[in-house]
Amino acid sequence: MHPTRSRPKLRRSRLALGLCGALLSCDNQPGSTPAGGPGLAELMKARGLTEADVAAALKTYVPSGKRDEYYLFASGGHGGNLIVIGVPSMRILKYVGVFTPEPWQGYGFDTATKDVLKGGRRIGRDLTWGDMHHPALSETKGAYDGEFIFVNDKANPRVAVVSLKDFNTVQIVASELIQSEHGATFVTPNTEYVIEGSQYPAPLGGKYADLDKFNEMYRGAAIFWKFDRKQGRIDPAQSWAVELPPYMQDLADAGKLASDGWAFFNSFDTERAYGGNAEGKPPLESGASQNDMDYLHVFNWRKAEQVVQAGKTQTIAGMRTIMLPTAIEEGLLYFIPEPKSPHGVDVTPDGKEIVVGGKLDTHATVYNMAKIQALIEQKKFDGTDPYGVPILSFRESIRGQCEIGLGPLHTQFDNQGYAYTSVFIETKVAKWSLKDLKVVDKISTHYNIGHLAAAEGDTVSPDGKYLVAMNKWAIDRFADVGPLLPQNFQLIDLSGEKLQLLYDMPLPLGEPHYAQMIKADKIKALDIYKPMGMNAITHERDPFAVEGGKERIERRADGVHVFMTAVRSHFTPDIVRVKEGEIVHLHITNIEQAKDATHGFTIGSHNINLSLEPGKHVNVTLVADKAGVFPMYCTEFCSALHLEMAGYFLVEPKAASAKK
Amino acid sequence: MPTPVHRPPQCVEVPPGQPVQPALDRTPDGGAVCLLPGIYAGHLVVDRGVTLYGPPSAIVRSDGTGTTVNALGRNTRLLGFTIEGSGRRYDKMDAALHIQGDEIQADGLLIRGAVFGVNVERSRRVRLHGNVIRGTGEAALGLRGDGIRFWETTDSSIEGNFISDSRDLVIRYTRRTRILGNTITRGRYGLHLMYSSDAILEDNRSIGNVVGTFIMYSHEVQYRRNLLAASTGAAGMGLGMKESGNVEVMDNIALRNTVSLYIDTSPLQLGDHNRFSHNAFVLSEVGIILHSSQRGNTFEQNSFHDNQEQVRVEGGGDALGSEWEGNDFDDYAGFDFDGDGIGDVPYELHSFSSKLLSRFPNLAFFRGTLALDLVDTVTHILPLLKPRALLIDRRPTMQRISVEVPRED
Repeated sequence: MHPTRSRPKLRRSRLALGLCGALLSCDNQPGSTPAGGPGLAELMKARGLTEADVAAALKTYVPSGKRDEYYLFASGGHGGNLIVIGVPSMRILKYVGVFTPEPWQGYGFDTATKDVLKGGRRIGRDLTWGDMHHPALSETKGAYDGEFIFVNDKANPRVAVVSLKDFNTVQIVASELIQSEHGATFVTPNTEYVIEGSQYPAPLGGKYADLDKFNEMYRGAAIFWKFDRKQGRIDPAQSWAVELPPYMQDLADAGKLASDGWAFFNSFDTERAYGGNAEGKPPLESGASQNDMDYLHVFNWRKAEQVVQAGKTQTIAGMRTIMLPTAIEEGLLYFIPEPKSPHGVDVTPDGKEIVVGGKLDTHATVYNMAKIQALIEQKKFDGTDPYGVPILSFRESIRGQCEIGLGPLHTQFDNQGYAYTSVFIETKVAKWSLKDLKVVDKISTHYNIGHLAAAEGDTVSPDGKYLVAMNKWAIDRFADVGPLLPQNFQLIDLSGEKLQLLYDMPLPLGEPHYAQMIKADKIKALDIYKPMGMNAITHERDPFAVEGGKERIERRADGVHVFMTAVRSHFTPDIVRVKEGEIVHLHITNIEQAKDATHGFTIGSHNINLSLEPGKHVNVTLVADKAGVFPMYCTEFCSALHLEMAGYFLVEPKAASAKK
Repeated sequence: MPTPVHRPPQCVEVPPGQPVQPALDRTPDGGAVCLLPGIYAGHLVVDRGVTLYGPPSAIVRSDGTGTTVNALGRNTRLLGFTIEGSGRRYDKMDAALHIQGDEIQADGLLIRGAVFGVNVERSRRVRLHGNVIRGTGEAALGLRGDGIRFWETTDSSIEGNFISDSRDLVIRYTRRTRILGNTITRGRYGLHLMYSSDAILEDNRSIGNVVGTFIMYSHEVQYRRNLLAASTGAAGMGLGMKESGNVEVMDNIALRNTVSLYIDTSPLQLGDHNRFSHNAFVLSEVGIILHSSQRGNTFEQNSFHDNQEQVRVEGGGDALGSEWEGNDFDDYAGFDFDGDGIGDVPYELHSFSSKLLSRFPNLAFFRGTLALDLVDTVTHILPLLKPRALLIDRRPTMQRISVEVPRED
């Protein structure tokens, strides 16, 4: 007998033993579970599951009553809202209205949330959607603290603040300094600033110049929005920006620990191509691919803060801006060549290095902060770019490159010294050693992988454990829902020797570019609003709050004020009579303090839906300009007598009231 | 060695050590400048229809900055001499030779030690024939430049060149490029086509590159008689394709690659089709990987021999949506009683091995045993697992299909 032929038998028994040990039972005979149903083996057979499928199921299943270990905050892409998901179950926990009105939460329907949305007006327009890309959890000493999350709008440059006390959007700020953005949001290690870097260059401050003045008049910029943690708000008056050359700045990251005080921005199209394919020029995508390298922007924000204090800024569209010549003269901005059309620029947990992936490259490039700082100190430059920004040598700034595969994009980290990079062309996640710059494992993902998010994987203290690959367009994966495909989040287990795919989750909203995963116990959310009558945006008692027994209708100079309460199962008053043409201010307090006593409120045909969580107070103003009888009712199931929680909003015609 | 070229019958000679630029500037359209054996200083610009000739021992040497020779004129011809070195800046695209213009010709040059070898931008009807381009050979692939780089260029040909120790030969945003009979070795992407359609790639040899050829976002490509050998390592791949359609892959040999053929979402467009006909996929870790279930590909008369795994489909998909006919699989265990040269039972590949191997790498131990033994083994260990058909060739050939590609001269 051939010597190799006898070996399989030996291995067969050992392997079989190993699998059975790990997986409860290898009993093929129909058995029974404690609940009396079919045995595991039968179930597997009936559902066509392999042992690996069962292992994955055991790792992700969270039984009724148990909670997930992590929250995943995923951007809702051009759906404009934020999505909260539990890990490892991948159950959706909440959609948070941010840039897009969200009626369940009453977001964009009551006065306070309408005002939040108004904060994000641009060029005098209300905007009812956003292109959300990169959420950033607030940080303390470079670790997530679970208090706030910031999100951006690429299309209409804006930054929103979401309070994790109640998962509500409390502020949107917009600066007309820039006309689009992408390097947002990223926070500095103590959330001193929320960074918003522009993407497509334009004349700063909303001015006009034709594209033939692109090199002279068009510019990029990065805004450093000052965050006032005590107020829980961005303070636009304390915020500032820096002017950048008209390259397309891309993703960003804030330095931490060894690189604290610095910020990093990727760029593409340093060729300064701007399309014109109907005007005899190459299309943008081609024009922006002419050269071999683009520039990593290295920016000293801490030093810039002093330059701003010293008043060396110009105010453009209300934003104090450090102009490019000042940034160069003060030694704030440096460029380092980086592989063509890079995507992620990700600072390692110790802050000592910066990993850049180039979409068209096969390597992740590891830049070293000590080397960069040494070159800056020695003023050792490879000349300047056309705008005078000093360029540091590529070779002398890097520690090395890790051969990842075809098309590395974004990188996250674990607690064992490994980095995880999404590989676009190969459609994989590569696990590699930061120390040796060697790939140790790779796992195939579904299709068009973009960002990835590991547990606390972009902080000073990553957890490892889980990683979510964010794939665009779930072709061939889920039950068909027409040509517009959901996205596909794939949960990957990082805890074993080999990466293991655990779960595919369809995500039925816009492309969720980036997400962050935070340990669930870091978030201390409110269960009710206390004291009663609280405004959910200010987290203070609303001046119009209504107490039980003090409900009333008052006619004032500015219109009819209806002071209403909601309690299971009625509104008081439950009949509101107004006259055609009157302005009506509804002030409604949910005076319940029980956890499960949320009410909704609508008046038919008036585009109103309010959410009244326990203790919450909301205001809304409407013009009763159409006479008629409009039922009003509670839209959130609240009790056995929920259907009865209704009333009438009567708008008496002008003619009728005159007759009286 | 570069292909020998003829010295122009009439030319202005410049002795070594003398500046060449004044002679180039004085020579009228249609004239020629000849170099003699020896060293010349770089930073030459040829912006008219002038021929610059030299024997291989005439060396135009970089001073360590910028691009060494710029060919910018209509009908500029560069023949026979050696270009040595370039600046070291990637961001400035420091090259031995930069070409931008129409009808420019570079034949029989020896180019060595430059970051980028030949960089061709926004040009038409450029011809690069019989050149030898040796890159810096820097240990880190990412720190090398490209041997040849095309961008926004049409109707050009790259023929009979030998390229080694550089990064990529990369052709981006081009139409009607002909790439014939080149040898590319010890680099990253042997040939990388991106947004380049109506291309013809024939008789090329990629040996020991990370990827032999990668065709991305390209259409109407003829790919024939190429050799793709020894693309090993983690990302090693003979021929790869992403979102490309109407590609004709015929008479090629893919030999000793980690993956011989990788297909990701190709064809992308409905109605597009790719044809893989009479190719040999041999001695690979995996013959073919399909990234997911995929339609619009035909595999006929291909030879699958001595691969550790013949075909793998990722993401739990299958290759039943591809047409398989008359292929030669060395693990075909069928028979041909009627003697018509076609197996009487279909060739069926089942999913368990690839799926299990990727999940339980220990099973790789069983590789190389008879396929039926593997079936037996696996079903003994995991009786629950019902093998699923991955691909079916209803008319597998009993003949050994052999493919030949032209040898290097």
